[in-house]
This record gives sequence, structure tokens and C-alpha cells, in this order.
Amino acid sequence: ATWRYAFEEAMDEVQGKYAQKFKEEVEANSDHTIQLFPFGTLGESADIMEQAQAGILQFVDQSPGFTGALIPEAQVFFVPYLLPQDQETLNTFFRNSKAINEMFPELYAEQGLELLKMFPEGEVCMTTQEPVHSPADLEDVKFRVMTNPLLVESYKAFGATPTPLPWGEVYGALQTGIIQGQENPGFFLESTKMYEVTEVVTCIGHNNFTTAVMANKDFYDGLSEEDQKVIQNASDAAFDYILDYQKNLQEESLKKIKEAKPSMEINTLSEEERKPFMETADEVEAAFIEMTGESGKKILEQMKADLKSASQSQ
Amino acid sequence: MATTIFGVMIVLLLLGFPMMIPLIIGAFIGFYSLFGGFGQLETMIQQMLAGIRPASLIAVPMFIFAADIMTRGQSANRLIDLVMTFVGHVKGGLAVSTAAACTMFGAVSGSTQATVVAIGGPLRPRMLKAGYNDSFVLALIVNASDIAFLIPPSIGMIIYGVVSNTSISELFIAGVGPGILILLLFSGYSMIYAIRNNVPTEPKASWGERLRATQRALWPLGFPVIIIGGIYGGIFSPTEAAAACVLYALILEMIVFRSIDLKALYETAKSTGLITAVVFILVAAGAAFSWVISFAQIPQAILGAVGVAEMGQIGVLFVISIAFFVGCMFVDPIVVILVLVPIFAPVVQSVGIDPVLVGVIITLQVAIGSATPPFGCDIFTAIAVFKRPYIEVIRGTPPFILILLCVSVALIFFPQIALFLRDLAFGK
Amino acid sequence: MTDDPDAHARSHGEAHMTSADQSDLGDYRSSLPGFLGTIDMAIARIEAVALAGGVLLMAANTIANVLGRFVFQQSIFFSEELNRILIILITFAGISYAARHGRHIRMSAIYDEMPPHLRKALMVVIALVTALFMFGLCYYAVGYIITQAGRGRVLPALQIPVWWIYLWVPVGFFMTGAQYLLTAIKNLLERDIYLSTHVLEGYDDDEVEV
Ligand code: NA
Ligand code: NA
Repeated sequence: ATWRYAFEEAMDEVQGKYAQKFKEEVEANSDHTIQLFPFGTLGESADIMEQAQAGILQFVDQSPGFTGALIPEAQVFFVPYLLPQDQETLNTFFRNSKAINEMFPELYAEQGLELLKMFPEGEVCMTTQEPVHSPADLEDVKFRVMTNPLLVESYKAFGATPTPLPWGEVYGALQTGIIQGQENPGFFLESTKMYEVTEVVTCIGHNNFTTAVMANKDFYDGLSEEDQKVIQNASDAAFDYILDYQKNLQEESLKKIKEAKPSMEINTLSEEERKPFMETADEVEAAFIEMTGESGKKILEQMKADLKSASQSQ
Repeated sequence: MATTIFGVMIVLLLLGFPMMIPLIIGAFIGFYSLFGGFGQLETMIQQMLAGIRPASLIAVPMFIFAADIMTRGQSANRLIDLVMTFVGHVKGGLAVSTAAACTMFGAVSGSTQATVVAIGGPLRPRMLKAGYNDSFVLALIVNASDIAFLIPPSIGMIIYGVVSNTSISELFIAGVGPGILILLLFSGYSMIYAIRNNVPTEPKASWGERLRATQRALWPLGFPVIIIGGIYGGIFSPTEAAAACVLYALILEMIVFRSIDLKALYETAKSTGLITAVVFILVAAGAAFSWVISFAQIPQAILGAVGVAEMGQIGVLFVISIAFFVGCMFVDPIVVILVLVPIFAPVVQSVGIDPVLVGVIITLQVAIGSATPPFGCDIFTAIAVFKRPYIEVIRGTPPFILILLCVSVALIFFPQIALFLRDLAFGK
Repeated sequence: MTDDPDAHARSHGEAHMTSADQSDLGDYRSSLPGFLGTIDMAIARIEAVALAGGVLLMAANTIANVLGRFVFQQSIFFSEELNRILIILITFAGISYAARHGRHIRMSAIYDEMPPHLRKALMVVIALVTALFMFGLCYYAVGYIITQAGRGRVLPALQIPVWWIYLWVPVGFFMTGAQYLLTAIKNLLERDIYLSTHVLEGYDDDEVEV
């Protein structure tokens, strides 16, 4: 059969790479073919999600940040400094976390979705016009964030003025100065040319952009055991591939930025400099629990426990 | 499936069905053949709503509203009077001014539909009064508005830049050359038109008259300041500039000039809403139709059969131009860019064409597509605003389309038209 | 109305120069009899108020957002979502209003060249087919809203259920379908050819107001 798979990024970005690997694996190990639909070709994130729920699409990649409207608990990935800043620990966490591999699949199932994989896409860094070394440097900076209450909370806590703006207007708004900053994972800063209209990249280790691939649940449950196995194996293979692909992606993306624009200042803040940013995490955590109640609290606690064991296993 | 859909659509269109119906029926047929029935039509509703979702669309009704207030009041006329004291005595002067105003406003506002209303609204009656034929005036307004796609900020270029991993700054600069070239050619055609049709000129205004006109236009001159200064100066986004114009127009016409009362304001809002609705329902239906084309992977099927890779640079550029030209005739330009650019990207790379050049050529095709029948958003806007029949709005189009096609071909053979400024600015 | 469109344009061009024309959307008088007419007029009034109110609110909202950013250094966090709600309201209140006033965009070149009896027959077909698809879309829009309601999605900033903002959609489709259905009936009952229930064909409504 022909299966359809839509994602939120372009073909050459992380979600596209994952999808291509998944497609390759499924087609190599079965008679099925997969058609890929990159960003925008079938609508925005919320559209492709609904189409997957309706069964028009068999697979969809939607980042939990966008899933917040459907599954509020998914916003836990926006709590700053929750995810480990070290890549190896992060990978171990994603492989073994009970919250990710047991609790979230139940929440997604309630929405008619079979959660196949969650994986990190890279550390989120800020691009701004002036160097940022402390929250004081973000004062009076109009900072573009996605329309997500928790992200707005975060940047308020960091001292900036969060300014929600549709993605299509961000480049122009940075160029003309309506906003002075925005955040995204490294590869995305490179591919979307954010460095052309800003001067400084600052990485403070507050977040690693997480995304999730799922299948329509009725479709998945209706498959033969053999086909389900093919999909699971393809997911695992694509997961290993994408973690490997990402090993040096952040550094390479930042290097490419530096090559394209030598005047770009790229700063990674020291432990000492990160402290005042890290201290704001509690505030945002509290906001998360207020928004999601008991169930959110449970997920948050489980994630913390998982993280602890992930860092101990290193 | 594609043949059936396009065939049915053209027939319905020609028979005089409301324009939304061919698009809606096209989408219905698509859904039926894709899913073996009407079970998935809720997705059609979803995509219609997605079509009118982009926040940047808000600039359209806001600029329409501001322009409507200015036109009912005095601002628009005072501004045009000022322009006329400088260009009224030149053959074709008013037409050239209109073309330039459309280009400038469209470039800055980022909305060609808003341009048709804001510039075309007040200037069309003046051009008719000056003796221009309506079909020329309408075609000039629609086509000159579309030059704006090439001049930054350009949403089409931003999306192309992201999808093809091309520098957006370079694209922006590269669009300026062709944009100005087209404006010059349109101006040239306008002057030839004025001379051949012997459009009368006004007596040359004295400097005293010019000064008086400037004084009268002092307040309304705030509009270009808000729009151009506000957007390029980094104070407003296009949508915000539109809102600022509404506020300023209300202050001028209701308080300073006292030319509009609350009843008139209500009527203006209603007519703005009506124009917005008849255009946006077509945007919505077009989005649903575009989704079908994209989901069925029709472009991939057609292009896969062509065998582009063996064509060499010139051949590839021609195929790209034609594909985008045809695509934009029927489908929303943004979707066309998103779907087609990744298909062509490997070919462009393998034959070694500058992706910036490709971006400019594609943007130009998008501009042409928006002004070309059968489906062109700016044609729809002109019909809604000026209440002229479809055929009347497109009757004067051919010379303009011809100019645009000539520029397309020229760009393929003389890429420096686009790349000259880029190379200068980026020291390449 | 078989005159050459160019001549037509020349003679009327100046009478209808812009959308700012005062006469274009004058008070609506229903052509339906009695009680139905009263309801029709009430609906027309609601549509008009929704249209004008939508535009005015959108302007107020966007202006307030700009002022907020400059004066108080703070954007209105729900401004974008409110505008999204309003654009849906304007579009779907507007399509039935436009149907009522015969203002939907169409390409009438071939239609205009046909003899009157053919034009009349074609207009009946056009109106019926259009009505059918509007009712169809109404049906699926209701389905879409029910699906949305079942999923419980909320708007991120306003935190209201997403399906609320779509309520105008099926209403707009239904009212538009009803207008076209009535247009078909009107054309069957009367001698003249009607673009909508009260607008005769032709592009200048000042000469056709019934
Ligand atoms: Na532009
Ligand atoms: Na077109």
C-alpha cells in the first residue's frame, strides 16, 4: 500500500532526514511505499496533525510544543533546563525514559495516535542584535516566540519582552527591527537564514527542541503484526540514524553560519553565566503545573527521575 | 484525475458560475477520487479555513479599510491633486505615476490585493476622467501591483529562500533589478499608449499652484510617511502599518477634515467587509483545491514524465519558468513554491545554476500568475472593488503579460539583470 | 443588457468609480412575502452588522496592539487570535451578504453573449448547483466542528475551544445556499433574469434596485 507521511520541516532538515530514513527502511523491508510531504505542502503543523487523526495521513511528525493545544502535558518540553545539556545523557534519556516511552504514548493514544518515537532536534539558541551574557542584556529586547503560553512565561522570566509573531514575518521583522531576537535549534538558524538579520548567536543550554513521530492509531492497530514490526524497526533505525546525524550537527551548523557571515558573534555561555537563567526555571515549572494540574505534575516528576538515572548511567 | 478536474473547472468557469464553484467542485472531485467517496470532506473545510488563516492576510482588509476611508473623504484626492500638479502636463504622466505608486505601495505593504484597492481605488477614477480607457487602467493597476512581489520585503522570496536554502538577503537585492526594469517597461508602454490614444494633458501647473497643492496635501502626506517610513524604518510590520493608516485616516477624515460621519464609517466598514469576503472565499476555496493537487502529487507525476535533467541550464530555466507560470495560474503561489522547489532543487544543483537567479525567476512567475487569468487573486480583487465584469478587468492585460514574459526570457539569457546588484552588494 | 461591454464601461465607469460608492449597499428590502420577508430582512441586518462590526473590531484590535507595543511596551497576547476569529466572521457573514447582493465574482463573458431564454435557464442551473454545493459544505462544516469539539483543542492564547470560532462557517454556507436557492426560484417565477433575489443581471445595481 501507499502510506503518507507529513512533517513540519523541509526535506533537508532534521525531521526530513528522519522521514527519509524511515521511508528507506520501510520500503526496503516491505512492499509498502511511503510518500513524504514536507512543511507546508499539506498545511501547517495543526493541519497535518488533524489529517493524521482523520486517517488521511498514516504518519505525522509534530513537535510537542505544537501539540500543547491537544495534549497540554506535552508542553513539559518547554520547561527550561529540564533536559540535560550534555548530548550523551540526552540520548540515553530519550532511549530509556519511562515518561517518554510509557506515559506519553497513553496520552497520544487518547487522541487516536500511536506514538512511535520522540527525538531531540538540537539545542535551541537565541539570535539577537546585541551580545547576551545575563538576563539584564535581554531587557527591552522584543523577542519572538511561538504562540505558546509556556514559552512566553520563559522569556518573561529571562527578562525579555516576548513578542508572538507568525513565523512568516520573523525574517522581515528582524531585518527592520520590529523584534530584536528569536530562538531556534542550530540547524534551523542556519537553514532559515536567521543569521543574515541578526548579529549574535547565544547558546545558554536552556532547551533541546524535541519532536515526535506518530501513526494514526486505527491504521496502526489494523496492521498485521508483521507490518507493525516493520514500522517499529524502521522507527528504531531512523532514531539511531538521527542521533548519529546530530552528533556534530549543532557545531557544523554554527560553523556554517560563521563561514557565511564571519562577523557573526557566537557565544556559548559558561556555567557561571547560565546560573541566573537557570534560576528562572522554577517559576516556569510552577506555571506548567498550574496549566496541566495533577497529570502534568506526574509527568514532570517522572521525567526528572528518568533524567537522574540517565545522568547516573553516564 | 487531473484532466477531469481541470476540464470541469474550465467549463464551469466559462459558463459563468460564481468563481468559487469551479474551485469547490474541483476539490470535491479530487476528494472523491482520492478517497473513494466524500468521507474525508471535513479536511476540505479544514483547508478552506487554513487558506484564510495567515496572520499577514489581516493587512488586506485593513489597507482596504484605510483606502476606503481616504477615498470617501478628502485625503486621497488631495494627494492625487499634488501629484497631478507635477505630472499632469506630461503625456502618460498620470499612468506612470499610478504604476510607480502601485509598485511602491505593493512592495512595502506586502499585499498586492491591498495595493489594488489602496492605490487603484482613488487613482482609477482620475485616470478615467483624464481620458484613459478603463480596460487599460484596470490592467495597469493589477499588473503594476504585482511588480511588488519582486521588491523586498517579499514573502515569496522568503519562502523560496527557506525551502531552497538560499540567502534571503541576496534574493531581496536580486529582485530589485528586474522589478525596476518591469516598472520602466510598463511606464514606457503607458506613455506610448497615452500618445497613441491621444490622452489629453492638463496645462502645466505653476510653482504657486504646486505649493498650494502641497499645503493642501500636508496632512495626507502622513500616509506615505507611515507606510514607507514605518515599515522600512522598523517601526511597523505591514499589518501594523495598515492599522496605523486606519487610525490616521479616521483622525484626518473624522476630526481634521470632518468629511466622514459615523454612518459613513459604518457603510465603509460594511463595504470593506464585503470586498474582503468575496476575495477571501476564493482564497479559501483555492487553498482546498491546492491541497488536493499537492496531496495527489500531480506536479510530481507531470514533471517526472518530462525528464528535465538532460536539458542543460537554459532548458532547465525554461521548464522551471513554465512550470511555475502554469502552476500559479491555478494554484496558490505559496503552495506552488513549497511543492515545486524541492522537486527542481536537485536539477538546479546538478546543472549548476545560481539558486538566487532561480529564485528571482520563480518570483517573477508568481507575480505573473497572480495577474493572469483564469485564477488570479488580484483580478478577483479588482472585480470586487471596481464592480467591473471579469472580461473587462482582463481585456487590457495582454500587452502587460507580454512585457512580463519578455522579461522572463531576458532573465534566462541575461542573468545579470538580477545578479548585477547582488554581485555588487555581496562582492561576488 | 447585450451592449458591448466596452461601451458599457465607458458610460458607467464614472458612476461607479470606487468601492466607496455610497449607493452600493443601501438598505436591503426583502423580496420574500410576509413573515418570511421579515425573517429574511432580520438576517440581512445581522449579516450587515457582523460584516461592519467585524471590520471595525479588527481595526480596533490591531490599532490597540500597535499602541500597546509603543506606549506600554507590551503586545496584546491574544491580538492575533482575535483577528483570526474576526476574519472567519467577516468571510462567512460576507459570502451570504454578497450572494444577497449578487456580488460574487464570476466570469460572464460567454454567458453575456447568450440569448435571454438560455441565460435564464443557465442562471437557474447556476443558482441550483451553487446552492447544492453550499449546503454540502454546510453539512461538512458542521461535521468538522463536531470533530473539533470532540478533540478538545483550544486556542493557545485565549484558551477557548477552537470549534467556537468556526460556528459562523456552516451558518454562512447555509445562508449563501439559501440565497442561491431563492434566486433559482425567483428566476422561475418572474419574467426577468435575477443575479440574486433582488438584483437583476448587469453590473450596476443603481438601475436594478427593485
Ligand atoms: Na514586496
Ligand atoms: Na493566475
